[in-house]
Amino acid sequence: MLPTFTLSELENDALIEIFNIGVGHAAASMSAIVNEAVRMSVPSISFIPRVEAARLLGAGSGDSGPERICGVSQHYDGAFETEAILMFPEDKSLEIVRLMVGEAVPLKELTEMEQEAMCEIGNIMLNSCVGTLANIFQRELHGSLPQYHVGTSDQILSATAAGSQADTVVLMLHIDFLLEKHQIHGYVAFVLAISALHDLKDQINLYIARVMGQA
Amino acid sequence: MREWLKGTDRDETMTSTKTVLIVDDSRVSRMMARQYLNGLRAEWVIEEAATGEESLVKARHTTPDLILMDVNMPGMGGIAAAEQLRQEFPAVPISLLTANVQTATRERATAMGIGFVEKPITAARIAQLVATLEAA
Repeated sequence: MLPTFTLSELENDALIEIFNIGVGHAAASMSAIVNEAVRMSVPSISFIPRVEAARLLGAGSGDSGPERICGVSQHYDGAFETEAILMFPEDKSLEIVRLMVGEAVPLKELTEMEQEAMCEIGNIMLNSCVGTLANIFQRELHGSLPQYHVGTSDQILSATAAGSQADTVVLMLHIDFLLEKHQIHGYVAFVLAISALHDLKDQINLYIARVMGQA
Repeated sequence: MREWLKGTDRDETMTSTKTVLIVDDSRVSRMMARQYLNGLRAEWVIEEAATGEESLVKARHTTPDLILMDVNMPGMGGIAAAEQLRQEFPAVPISLLTANVQTATRERATAMGIGFVEKPITAARIAQLVATLEAA
């Protein structure tokens, strides 16, 4: 049985608003990287088991089995502990890197640096998002170096420290980034253990208190 | 003039050719910064280091006019390297060039008297750094 974790309506609203701002900054960073407009859906946030999160991320992959994804993860600790993961379809990875570095780099060299470039894109986007959260919470979050993964969404979620157990609760922040000209979708997920969810909830309540002028 | 470029005893006789040291563990980021700098000032000398430790060695050999420093790197990291470089080369402008957009990191840079530029690396951001350096 999953551990229970609930948020009040106000806490949930604040959480969505805070992540909305954070992901908005990440989308702006992505737009600067690829030099084109990035459309972003309204974030949907749910607390679900890791296996369910993997199923959601793999949805729409069709009959050919789960879609292969390339992911970049970073572990953060401080105000709360989380594993932040940025995911793109694997077959779009090289295209994204090409958009980042421009036409100047030959394909062979581009292929060689694909993994490293995706790590840097993940580093920029995840730090843009998490850094914004830290600023809103007025606390510091310390990030690890980015890790690169390739596999199905379930394999990627399992590979992260916090997501290694099937019953881990995942704060699933499901957002479509859409690079309009290239029809490339991306997703962000935050994986939090139950104790970290309580830390996050504390930070949300401190934020609400500040907004209400009570702190 | 930007506060972080107010080098008190900066050598006014230096020529227009400048040396920039790019410190970043990401080869792609170093490549992009180099590309934008070369596009703006082809005559400038660009040095690279992939770690904070390597940046100390390179700075001692090249005496750069500007150091661009990533923060999150293996080893000693960018903040510790910048602190040491600030002590060894007090007149050399240093700017963090980092994805870490947290207020705490900006405040740390300000306290150290160094600049802060957000990633991603773009032509506009590099142009701003060049303009600021040349105006100093």
